[in-house]
Amino acid sequence: MEGRASFHDGGTAARHEVRLRLSEDNQALVIEGDSLPAPLRWPLADLRALGDHADAARLVVTRHADHVPDALPRDPARLVIEDPRLIEWLHRTRPRLHRRDLRAGTGRRVALRLGGALAAVLLMLFVILPSMAGTLARLLPVEREVAFGRTVTAQMERMLGAESPGSLDCEAPGGTAALEAMVARLTEGRALDYDLRVRVLDSGMVNAFAAPGGQIVVMRGLLDKAEGPDMVAAVLAHEIGHVVHRDPTRNALRAAGSVGLLGLLFGDFTGGAAMVLLADRLINASYGQEAETQADIYAHAMLRDAGLPPAALAEMFERFRDLGGEVDGALAHFMSHPRLSERIDGARAAPPPEGAVTPALDPGQWRALQGICGAPD
Amino acid sequence: MAEGQYAHARYAGDNGQLFWLAFRTGLLTLVTLGIYRFWAKTRIRRYIWSAVELDGSRFEYTGTGLEKFLGFLMAVIILAVYLGVIQIVLFYFGISLFGGADAATSVVAVNASVLAVLPFVFFAVYRARRYRMARTRWRGIRFGMDRNAWGYALRAMGYWALTLLTLGLMLPLQTFRLEQYMTDRTWFGDARFRQEGHWTALYGRMRHVFIGIGLIVLGSIGAAAGAAGDWGWGAAGIAAIPVGAVWLAIGVISYRVQSFAYLARTKVLDEQVGFHARPETSTVILTWIVGSLIVGAAVGIFLALVGGGAAIIFGGLASTGGLDGIDPSGPAVLLPLLGGAMTYILVFVAAEAGGLALITQPILKHYVDTLTVIDPDALGEIRQRAADKGADAEGFADALDIGGAI
Repeated sequence: MEGRASFHDGGTAARHEVRLRLSEDNQALVIEGDSLPAPLRWPLADLRALGDHADAARLVVTRHADHVPDALPRDPARLVIEDPRLIEWLHRTRPRLHRRDLRAGTGRRVALRLGGALAAVLLMLFVILPSMAGTLARLLPVEREVAFGRTVTAQMERMLGAESPGSLDCEAPGGTAALEAMVARLTEGRALDYDLRVRVLDSGMVNAFAAPGGQIVVMRGLLDKAEGPDMVAAVLAHEIGHVVHRDPTRNALRAAGSVGLLGLLFGDFTGGAAMVLLADRLINASYGQEAETQADIYAHAMLRDAGLPPAALAEMFERFRDLGGEVDGALAHFMSHPRLSERIDGARAAPPPEGAVTPALDPGQWRALQGICGAPD
Repeated sequence: MAEGQYAHARYAGDNGQLFWLAFRTGLLTLVTLGIYRFWAKTRIRRYIWSAVELDGSRFEYTGTGLEKFLGFLMAVIILAVYLGVIQIVLFYFGISLFGGADAATSVVAVNASVLAVLPFVFFAVYRARRYRMARTRWRGIRFGMDRNAWGYALRAMGYWALTLLTLGLMLPLQTFRLEQYMTDRTWFGDARFRQEGHWTALYGRMRHVFIGIGLIVLGSIGAAAGAAGDWGWGAAGIAAIPVGAVWLAIGVISYRVQSFAYLARTKVLDEQVGFHARPETSTVILTWIVGSLIVGAAVGIFLALVGGGAAIIFGGLASTGGLDGIDPSGPAVLLPLLGGAMTYILVFVAAEAGGLALITQPILKHYVDTLTVIDPDALGEIRQRAADKGADAEGFADALDIGGAI
């Protein structure tokens, strides 16, 4: 095996024309040239070719070397072979020619960096951003929070299909009066930071939500499916709990921070947006569990003070479950509300009010509230 | 290749080879949820670098996917923490100053967060170029750049502000000084590059931009005259506006190509090696148009064939009554849906690879083929430089998605 090649010694940009031959012991490639000070001996086992080369007719060979400071453990010298016989011989006899040599400790380095990145992101998502959101939500002036809440509900109305803000509002006079009576009974004797603004929207969804700044929205579907005024009062008390704890504002602030962070992590490959949404949902669900439990506890006390049974909340949850809201197992994480059975037990265990219990609304008021969106078609 | 005292550069990449490399690595990127993209980019660079030949010797790219992945992780940690905090604070000021998540707030918040990221963007631009230089070799000798990324970011923000405030009039100063800042800190082995020339020379390369703007302005004046009752001027003005817009677009490309050529011609290596660059704006634009048409047509024909095939199969099923009573979540419905999604992804990856092989590569080939090195013999004296660890290995550029095609 003999041939010619050109050689760069890795020290200067000069090109040396060299002769190649196998050493006497058949263990090394000997590189000789008139412009080289002395013949070089490259052990055959250390020969490595450059990958993904654009010229199939030329093979660039270097040498495995552990001592170099480069990312890859390779000698800076290069042997450029264009002799097809030589290239064929190297490919045939040197199975390690295209081997990738990783430095010792690469696995540990990757694991450390991955672990560090994961830890930093988790710390941000679950400790730093939530605590910043809590602090900032407390700092926000109430009137700003109210203005912000209005834009949030306007957005929600648009998503439900309202042509203009307020076009889905249900405002039958009797129903509005009944709703006001219910809110007044619940909040009697309580000093709230917000003027509560409770509205009913004409939508079949069985749901209610609190927006920043004392805005509470009840969907008509909830009134339709509730079995009595106490159940609606229980849901209202729960949403008032969210308002008092400033959960919606904190949630929005936290979402802004985590979307900024997650968008960067997943921003750069196909389908990234879906991953961002999914991940954000997951975070806010686990955030929601603690907030929901606190809102439940607030509701128990509010109902008792208003002379209503906290167990009404449990009955409403059971109604939810009958309607198919309960999801157990792997999907449970993705639900905003913690598992219903635990919350039902919590509501049943809450102490009932002392003295006589009267329903939240009398039968006439309840009919008026259920008809707040006008007669069903 | 050396003809006396000149060495012509040559690009010898093959469209088919690069397409298959990009397609294969694109699929791997997809399968690994994006993680393989660092290795994919590295392999594509290895191919492209090794296709560039100067004085008989090919260039070499020595970066690794692993170091890019690790650099990306580091950059992501820093940026994620920074962006999370910035976003939440901006959102807070958005709602406490403007009271809501309405249009005005989101515009302000988006602009403010772009501004907050901007220093990192320029930092990343310099770092990315330093990394690519540090991983480029020719005849075994490393290129390299000094560590001045923050100095660059500071100057880039200043020159950008100046350009914006003067409505683009000072763009040549920005182009020249920023390129000079990088070139003067670039090395081949122990030899330093130097940017000569003068920034005012770039105004000549901007002339088509000025002509395009002039046509639009004159056209608008003519159109205004037309609205005032002078119909002849009005028609001429309305015709001049689209002509001016196209002229402006071509002018912008012309400025980019010709300012690159000027800046290449005025670079000097080690006080003796010069460069000559003669890229043609028309060739760049034509290559881009032809490449886009081929890729677009290939995607269109493929989709028409697949869509036609699917229509025939479904039509057959429907006519035999096969579609009635099919479970909507059953395999008969899900499989075609899955097949459709897979086809879409395959076409997407193939179109990206096609763009690289048929648009990016031919344009690059034109730039390389029109480049000549003057007095290449002096290169033989240049000695090796120390290795550069590369810090974040372009991680900031990858995290901020400003990497470009290659």
